[in-house]
Amino acid sequence: MNLSFFDQFASPHLLGIPLILISMLFPALLIPTPNNRWITNRLSTLQSWLFNFITKQLMIPLDKKGHKWALILTSLTIMLLTINLLGLLPYTFTPTTQLSMNMALAFPLWLATLLTGLRYQPSASLGHLLPEGTPAILIPVLILIETTSLLIRPLALGVRLTANLTAGHLLIQLISTAVTALLPIMPTISILTTIILLLLTILEIAVAMIQAYVFVLLLSLYLQENI
Amino acid sequence: VLHSTRSLHTAQQHWAPVPPLPEKGGEVRHGLIPEEFFQFLYPKTGVTGPYMLGTGLLLYLLSKEIYVINHETVAAATILSVIIYCIKKYGADVAAFADKLNEEKVATALTVKNEAIKYLETAIEEEKKEQWRVEGRSYLFDAKRNNVAMLLEANYRERLLRVYNEVKKRLDYQVALQTLKRQKEQDHMIQWVERNVVQSITPQQQKESIAKCILDLKALSKSAQAAV
Repeated sequence: MNLSFFDQFASPHLLGIPLILISMLFPALLIPTPNNRWITNRLSTLQSWLFNFITKQLMIPLDKKGHKWALILTSLTIMLLTINLLGLLPYTFTPTTQLSMNMALAFPLWLATLLTGLRYQPSASLGHLLPEGTPAILIPVLILIETTSLLIRPLALGVRLTANLTAGHLLIQLISTAVTALLPIMPTISILTTIILLLLTILEIAVAMIQAYVFVLLLSLYLQENI
Repeated sequence: VLHSTRSLHTAQQHWAPVPPLPEKGGEVRHGLIPEEFFQFLYPKTGVTGPYMLGTGLLLYLLSKEIYVINHETVAAATILSVIIYCIKKYGADVAAFADKLNEEKVATALTVKNEAIKYLETAIEEEKKEQWRVEGRSYLFDAKRNNVAMLLEANYRERLLRVYNEVKKRLDYQVALQTLKRQKEQDHMIQWVERNVVQSITPQQQKESIAKCILDLKALSKSAQAAV
């Protein structure tokens, strides 16, 4: 396979059949279904512990009405976490590098928080557009700025995830290419570059987990404002 | 191994009790390849068989360029080394953590059971004590009976005293009444006598008595010396 740098970001096709759906749903296969035992094996115990931990963290700042969002936010966290981490393996395709997928996740969820706020507490929701204690002369400007900031949130959510993961993967590819190219020429520099690659990989693992967390955290923050 | 410990279709379907989990997971060599694969090849190729197979396969793929070495190979090597390092370093800790979570679950249930047993045992002790107490019932009732008798006695005596006081009050009243009547009669008589006596003193008698008194006084004054 002669790989170019674009191949890892190309939506996979096999004989013309798009495989994007399988690649998005595959991480769900790696999560064991909870069975009806009381004491489960180690993997199921750790998985249950992780899900409880995530749900608790997300639901603590929200009141009772926000607990309706528990399932979707936890599922979203786990999906993004697994997709991001699996994308670090070689020859894998990461669906979250596609702007289309991230916008499809961010936009409806953000819109849901906004409409929830406007439907159940419209004046409080609109009141968020003006921070407390602004001088009277700045009010019109600040309203415009806050509205812009509000409307750009879905774009920011989607693009943040896409850009972080795409940039990370691209960097890994480029530095690996440098290592491969330098190996016959200057082995010492190649080894130094390998060390850089090692550090970068560790960073990418961290970024993968952090970006998933940040995405869901910001959504929960928008929810707190509006619920 | 799991598949040999599971007995399928031997009994009716039931949710509980669940079949037990095997003690250990399947044996793997090098973290990836199950031991059964080595056992499968052992009769024909001995101990080194699977390793020869692996090496040959790898060299075949590399030499025929079925697997091309490109930049992804280096990336693969890096990520795999990071993963293997993390597993080797933190694997035991994570397993111990999972075991601890399960242990805590079991320990909580055991605590509930032990607490219930202790509570019931204390209840049995208390019941035995109550049964022992029942034997001393008669003494308790005697004491209570004495108590009640004493109370009745005290009440009776108190009432007796009240009756006595009431009767005494009435008799005292009669006595006081009679005394008062006698006194009044005496006073009245004395007054009547005095009134009559005073009335009976005529002026002539008065003059005579005053002159006699003066004579008496003079006589006394002659005999009596003034004490200086």
